[in-house]
Amino acid sequence: MIPRLINLFAASGPTVHIAPGTVWQIGGISITNSILYGWICIIGISAFLIWVARHITVKPKRGVIQYVEVAVSFITDLVESAFDDDKIGRKYVPYFVTLFFFILLNNWLGLLPIVGEGFKSGSLPLLRPFTGDLDGTLALGLVTMLLVYAASIRESGGPVRYFKHFFVGNPLNPIYLLVGILEIFTDLTRVISLSLRLFLNVAIGEILIAVFSYLGHIAAPLTALPFTLLEIAVGALQAYIFTILAVMYLAIAVNGANAHSDDLTEDDLPETIEVTPGEAVSG
Amino acid sequence: MVVADTVNTVVIAKGLMIGGGFIGPAIGIGLVGSGYVQAAGRNPSAAGSLLGQALIFVALAELFGLLAFASVFIFAK
Repeated sequence: MIPRLINLFAASGPTVHIAPGTVWQIGGISITNSILYGWICIIGISAFLIWVARHITVKPKRGVIQYVEVAVSFITDLVESAFDDDKIGRKYVPYFVTLFFFILLNNWLGLLPIVGEGFKSGSLPLLRPFTGDLDGTLALGLVTMLLVYAASIRESGGPVRYFKHFFVGNPLNPIYLLVGILEIFTDLTRVISLSLRLFLNVAIGEILIAVFSYLGHIAAPLTALPFTLLEIAVGALQAYIFTILAVMYLAIAVNGANAHSDDLTEDDLPETIEVTPGEAVSG
Repeated sequence: MVVADTVNTVVIAKGLMIGGGFIGPAIGIGLVGSGYVQAAGRNPSAAGSLLGQALIFVALAELFGLLAFASVFIFAK
């Protein structure tokens, strides 16, 4: 009796989907469950943020609005402090704040119990977190990096100066040339690394919750709760990391190109710097 | 004595992939954590601003562990 019961419990493992499933076909274009939930989330997020923007006041109110304000000012400070020149940073604040809220709310909305195995269309889940799909995060990464490339070329004053920031010294020196070419290739992998990081964190979080709610069986809410709480933290952390990395990529290119005039490898700099003993700080 | 006619090498491969793939990021995250605690101990007033930077490097190291974990699902049979 008991072995049969255990067999019944372990009849099949948790259903794990790492790829999105096609829910509908409309004129040859397949609508996957992740893009379906992505559209729902976009409508929800836009409505929520427009509501917040309408109700914002000079004197902070209690409730959800002040948390949005805190997050906006946090990202604004982050973007402005990353650039040497605050004015350049301020131009790109709206995009990065939007990006942060889009990823954050998509990650959090993806943890709702209705997403995943709850609602099914055939054998596939009807809804799937948008950021838990490589197509979604790849689109985010591509759009972000295209903006970063376009903005850094514009801010650094032309493609020549932009490409010059990859090379630490004179590009005719073979070592600097190779290092520069390597830097350019490293730059191109950023789209992949940005999108894979977000996708894997969210998708593996979903798998983790699915596995532990399966292991818990009757006590599924109890066993899945700690991992859901962990995923709330991970979702916020990943939104922060995606935003800060995109800001850093832009800031490195812009600051590097603008600060190229005081390059340390220039010939007219003195080889040694004289330091008189009296200036040395003791302690 | 024949122990097993066929050995499913995929299981061994997955075990090695998980094990080997998790060692590196674990060491990396540990190094980031130790560096953060040391820096915060030396200069407690900068701990808040250092935490954000520490988390970035945790995420950079974590990616490779996640890649190993995802490969288990991609290489199914």
